[in-house]
Amino acid sequence: MPGMLEIMVQNMVNIPLIQPLVDVLLKIPVINYIVALILWRPIFAVLIIPGLGAIMLVLMIIVWWERKLTARVQWRVGPLEVSRPIGGVMQVMADGMRYFFQEVIVHRNAHAIYFIQLPILAFLPVLLPILLIPAGPVYAIRSDYAIPAIVALIALIPVVIIAMGWASNNRFAYIGAIREAFMYFAYEIPLIFAVLAMMVLYGSGDPFVIVEKQTVPGILLNPVAALTFIIATVMATSRLPFEIPEADQEIAFGPFVEYSGILFGLVMTLAYEKLYLMSLLLTILFLGGWNGIAIPILGDFMPPFWLFLKAFVFMLIISLLRSIYARYRLDQALRIGWSSILAISIISIAISYALVLTGWLP
Amino acid sequence: MKKIKAEKLGLTESVKRHLEAIGVVVGEVIVPSTITIHYPRERRKLPDNFRGLILFDSKACISCFRCAHICPANAIVMEHRIAYFPSIDYAKCIFCHFCVDSCPTGALRPTKIHDFVYKDMDEMVVHSEEMVETPEIVREDSFTVEYVFDGDVQLVKKKEKEELVPEVKPPERPPKVAAALNPENCISCRLCVAACPTFAISAKEEKTKIILEINVDRCTACSICNKICPTSTLGLVDR
Repeated sequence: MPGMLEIMVQNMVNIPLIQPLVDVLLKIPVINYIVALILWRPIFAVLIIPGLGAIMLVLMIIVWWERKLTARVQWRVGPLEVSRPIGGVMQVMADGMRYFFQEVIVHRNAHAIYFIQLPILAFLPVLLPILLIPAGPVYAIRSDYAIPAIVALIALIPVVIIAMGWASNNRFAYIGAIREAFMYFAYEIPLIFAVLAMMVLYGSGDPFVIVEKQTVPGILLNPVAALTFIIATVMATSRLPFEIPEADQEIAFGPFVEYSGILFGLVMTLAYEKLYLMSLLLTILFLGGWNGIAIPILGDFMPPFWLFLKAFVFMLIISLLRSIYARYRLDQALRIGWSSILAISIISIAISYALVLTGWLP
Repeated sequence: MKKIKAEKLGLTESVKRHLEAIGVVVGEVIVPSTITIHYPRERRKLPDNFRGLILFDSKACISCFRCAHICPANAIVMEHRIAYFPSIDYAKCIFCHFCVDSCPTGALRPTKIHDFVYKDMDEMVVHSEEMVETPEIVREDSFTVEYVFDGDVQLVKKKEKEELVPEVKPPERPPKVAAALNPENCISCRLCVAACPTFAISAKEEKTKIILEINVDRCTACSICNKICPTSTLGLVDR
């Protein structure tokens, strides 16, 4: 298929740093297909950055980082003994290996089919938004409705978690699933309103238009919407202080209580993957997307690099919350979600309309 | 029913408290005020009289049995080697170091070695010849850590390796010495000569009676001669 190779080569990611190597590899018969496929823009966006590869990198570092930060605040050491010279970063890999070789127990009362397939299915709503999140020239699908579609796809993740809680057929899992459902309604509406406010402000749902219009970062244009979005992110990824559905001291990881082995490994990372997606969305909406200092040698890799870096730094900062705040009760969180956060999300829409109507924004 | 409500705070006050909490956490992340000692890589600075593993010097031992007598756990048994030397059963030892304190010649010495293991119970009975050499220690530490109790507890780290076998001065000899207090009682049995662990007593025959000579330099005032003498000839006098 010579035509296929040409199509891919024409639409390849151009990185001056590795271009000589790519040129050499493209002359080798079989490897040229692999290299061209990986560097093909849609595949590169989904598989490497900001897609699967970046997610894996984030998972590796953020879990370690969070454990390490919490440990330092609590006067412990945290993961260290695995790969001591680099401060125990490989601990996550070691945990992953352990999960992989541990027996997966499906208990008698569980709905075995759903119980096993749901953690795997959960990757669909995690990976599908990646298709729509562009990083400058590296993107898979460009659409005017990308932002609403991303929000809609991310909103599917709690449905999977609730289904997991149901399939586990355990009282803790059931309580966790119910809590997840309650929280879902509490944060999803303010989250959608905050996104809506930014879409009103920029007048488009296309990430390219949104990033282009952000000569001033969105967080300065509409800080209320940014605050709403950040609180909703914390709620949505069930992090402390809103770690209510999982609450390991109360209901022992809630919907995930019956999972073991690699299935637990999959569901445990779900919250972090969701956090990554929402950080990317936050970066595009509020932090200027892939705008950044130009680094010519990176070429097409530069926009995804900046997008990833901004999202990643946001994740690193949000990890601190675990050691600062205690967990809210469900009723407290619901009260906050339905009253003050909903109120400020509506205010943020008003601010956006005011900004647009007074013509502050070009 | 009494309902407890959260304290009502104004906006500025609650924002201030949030910022304070965030500040504390950020500060702890940057410089954690932990007081944990990372043991194999750091060692706590121990005093020179730390009650650790006991070392033995067979040249100084006078077989006075005081260590065996005083041991509250009955861990010390005197075994016959050249003379009677102590063996310590570390399964029984409670590390009170009464033996070290009671040793009149400093033959038993304290060390700061507190991390030693044995493979089985039989091995825990350490004989005198095994106590002479300092055991081989795998040192992973490069820091010596010290707690400073000045207001808040603080941890002071120094990049130095501590010597685990401190130099201990042998105890001062008691200001007493054995002497023949009642020479007229002597029946020339020479039990004292045989019993003296430091060979300080010698007997010189003179016609029908013997004269006991006591080497004052060698005498440790252990009073074994005093106890063994059937006729209370010997006693202790001031030096």
